Amino acid sequence: MSDTGSSTRYLDQGKPPERFARGWHCLGLESAFADGKPHGIEAFGTKLVVWQDSQGGTNVLDGYCRHMGGDLTQGSVKGDEVACPFHDWRWGGDGKCKQIPYARRVPLRARTQKYPVVIRNGQVLVWHDVEGGAPDMDVLPPELPGIGTDEWTDWFWEVVPIEGSNCRELIDNVVDMAHFYYVHLSFPTSFRNVFEGTRATQYMASKGRPDVSGGYGDAEMFLKSEATYYGPSYMINWLEVDYKGFITEVVLINCHLPTGPDSFTLQYGIAVKKPEGLDEKTAQYIAKKYATMFGEGFLQDVHIWKNKVPVQNPLLCEEDGPVYQLRRWYEQFYVDVADIAPEMVDRFEFEVDTTKANEFWQAEVAENLAKKAREDGEGADGVANPEAEGKPQVMTGT
Amino acid sequence: MASFVPLSPDTLEDQRLYTSARLTEVACLDCLATVGVKKNSEHHTSIQWSTEARAHCPELTRRAGGRESHAGCPRMLASIETAVREGAVPVGAEDGY
Repeated sequence: MSDTGSSTRYLDQGKPPERFARGWHCLGLESAFADGKPHGIEAFGTKLVVWQDSQGGTNVLDGYCRHMGGDLTQGSVKGDEVACPFHDWRWGGDGKCKQIPYARRVPLRARTQKYPVVIRNGQVLVWHDVEGGAPDMDVLPPELPGIGTDEWTDWFWEVVPIEGSNCRELIDNVVDMAHFYYVHLSFPTSFRNVFEGTRATQYMASKGRPDVSGGYGDAEMFLKSEATYYGPSYMINWLEVDYKGFITEVVLINCHLPTGPDSFTLQYGIAVKKPEGLDEKTAQYIAKKYATMFGEGFLQDVHIWKNKVPVQNPLLCEEDGPVYQLRRWYEQFYVDVADIAPEMVDRFEFEVDTTKANEFWQAEVAENLAKKAREDGEGADGVANPEAEGKPQVMTGT
Repeated sequence: MASFVPLSPDTLEDQRLYTSARLTEVACLDCLATVGVKKNSEHHTSIQWSTEARAHCPELTRRAGGRESHAGCPRMLASIETAVREGAVPVGAEDGY
């Protein structure tokens, strides 16, 4: 045994990956690329160019022209093609150079890197595979019934560039039961993980913390959450929020684009099922409120990530989730398809014991409330908890 | 080619401890599936399926694909409960793993 009770434990920070994960990655909302202009999206250690052609199809190529390296994202859309600002080479969505207006003919080898595109739930997904394998349609995230109709709000979509962290920090949250209490100020009462194939799921029930709430989330907010990663970077989080008996259905998309070994772009989208009897404006207000709440929740994570070190040998206690098994699952996206080991994709189920944690947290919350009551009684300014307002009480999935 | 390459050999031992140590084989009472089970406490359960076991489970095969495929197989869960009750699966953690 490498560790005995007497030896000091060291952190193994490991070496960051040399490639980017294989799988479907979300570039953003389809509507964001529909203005007839080329758009630049940082991803996979390069920049991609995204544009919509005259048929309404979304095309994605490597952002740099194979001629002299011009930045296609600063070019223009001419017909169905993107034109380089440097020498006007025209590139089609199939990756072929279609036209060089000043040349007699186009070199046969004028092909650039194209990314297969699928539009799903109003979002642009691209397939990334360093081995150049065909896109796997079987592992696409599912279509969400009702989304895109009048029954749900539109997506509230946010983009947050993250510097100084590898995207695996974000993945780790799938199994991190206790951080929901400490970082996101919610209170997980049950917690379960299932990994199988290219999917990794977290099931969680939680409630708000009464000691730190500021009028939004509180002890009367109960949440049921089911969050599944479909591949390495795209999570759908189904949420059922019960606030004083008023139930709201929310879908949160949590996805990211790796941009470098220690940077990624976090994106998240929120859609809310419009509660019956509520007018459009109120439904929009609720959706926006959730979007703000989750946005702040991510920033709480980001603060931790920016200041922590990577760790390949986390030391776990009995109440922790299956970090090692999650990372074993995540590994499948970083090896060649031929090297995917059975244990990376075999079904694994894990039920976290939240009993002890809940006992302790109940007691801590009660103590905080008692302390607050004493302070209020002593005639403090009545601002019992100035920092609590607006903090997310129901952060989930991540 | 790994997502992160550990630098210390001790990390490999940690990986082994957390993922495969102390797994007890439990056979389903209703089908041919056999899984690895670890119980760190009454409420905690860790279930490792193999490709073969997964192929044997009619319940999970029936549900494959949709969101519902992530719930456990009730027959396997009942088999594990029985094995625990009969003392075949030890309950308790060893230093956090």
